[in-house]
Amino acid sequence: MSARVILGVVLAGVLAAGEASAQGAPTAPQGRGAGAGGQGAGAAGRGRGTAAAPPVRRMPDGKPDLSGFYDSVHRGANYGIEEHAGSTLTPPGQGIVVDPPDGKLPLQEWAKEELKSRQTPARGYDDPTAHCIMAAGVPRGFYVPSPFFIMQTPTHIVVLFERMAWRHIPLDPKRKHLPDSIRLWQGDSVGHWEGDTLVVNSQNFNGKPWLNEVGEITSHALTVVERFTPVNANTIMYRATLTDPIVYTRPFTIEVQFNRDPNGEMLEVACHEDNQDLQHMKDVKDAGTGLEKK
Amino acid sequence: MTVNSQIPTPRFQTARRCTIGAAALAVLCLAAAPVLAHHSFAAEFDENKPIKLSGKVVEMRWSNPHAWIYLDVNNNGKTERWAFETGAANGLFRRGWRKEDLPAGTVLVIQGWQARNGTNTANAGSITFPDGRRLFAGSSNPNAERDK
Repeated sequence: MSARVILGVVLAGVLAAGEASAQGAPTAPQGRGAGAGGQGAGAAGRGRGTAAAPPVRRMPDGKPDLSGFYDSVHRGANYGIEEHAGSTLTPPGQGIVVDPPDGKLPLQEWAKEELKSRQTPARGYDDPTAHCIMAAGVPRGFYVPSPFFIMQTPTHIVVLFERMAWRHIPLDPKRKHLPDSIRLWQGDSVGHWEGDTLVVNSQNFNGKPWLNEVGEITSHALTVVERFTPVNANTIMYRATLTDPIVYTRPFTIEVQFNRDPNGEMLEVACHEDNQDLQHMKDVKDAGTGLEKK
Repeated sequence: MTVNSQIPTPRFQTARRCTIGAAALAVLCLAAAPVLAHHSFAAEFDENKPIKLSGKVVEMRWSNPHAWIYLDVNNNGKTERWAFETGAANGLFRRGWRKEDLPAGTVLVIQGWQARNGTNTANAGSITFPDGRRLFAGSSNPNAERDK
């Protein structure tokens, strides 16, 4: 079955589940979700308070209902995951790395050099998103300053990123990942619930995405464990642990808070329509590599 | 500037729509909607080439991944056409912009940074009318927004 067909089936299921959910009041007791805000003590533990917020929403089966339109408190991570000062051209960031405790990416030496290279103007062309390849990898879609919409059924999660394509996450702890030979921009994701936390394991990445506009790195060896913990009806704490032995000396973990906007709606983005930036950056790359503009 | 008040207001803009009034020609949107870019601002534009140009709007192209304002600039009697990149169309929409908001012939002063490839292309950092009223640019450079 093609991915497009799968998505269509999932969306149909979501619509049906949404209707059912809307007709019935939540009956499941509030579980650990209301107390999960303790995780917010890290980098992203700021933003909306939780005292007056409604409790975690529930699906008919009692699982947390994560669905909805969200913006993340991205803390400038699209311009550097570590805490960094701003410049005329690059916004500052407060950092989203919660492990290692110093907030620094545990880059191997070769990766430090590659990162410096990617931050030269000539390498800006190499970021796939500059080419409008919006399957931007994991976890970039969750801290790009752009909203996303989570759709949920008992057996599937679909995340529609307004600018960063989509992800399909089957909820089946027995599901096996794809064969090692299949490599994907967004990886292959499998999710399951641990209490009120949605845990998603992803692998089979192709190593092509950049982690952000400044070129932070992952490779095809990347595996990601994401944890989505609802704090209340309008807030999710998101943690992602990235393990990539080719690029990093140890795993590291980021944390970002998602805020739901009940009135938010997705808008259309058609990146290929008039992407003039790519030619401009191609000119810079060609000049940097000694190639003449044709 | 004219604003088409007949355009229906979608539901999603109630919390984000900035104030645009036909009587108040200046538009200044300071909503917290994110500024969007799909590429490195520093890679495409040169912080060492700040520019400030005045001219007449030829067209505002409402397109993805960025909207563009085309301006005819008088340079010692010779007309030069400049292209100014603004934010993404969806970001502008959430801030209150509409396609009809910037008709051809409007005189603007635009400050920004020229493209590194040396063409008459720049990122719009701020836009003002000749009398000094400011028009939000929706720059793809979030620092430009932060400074407003």
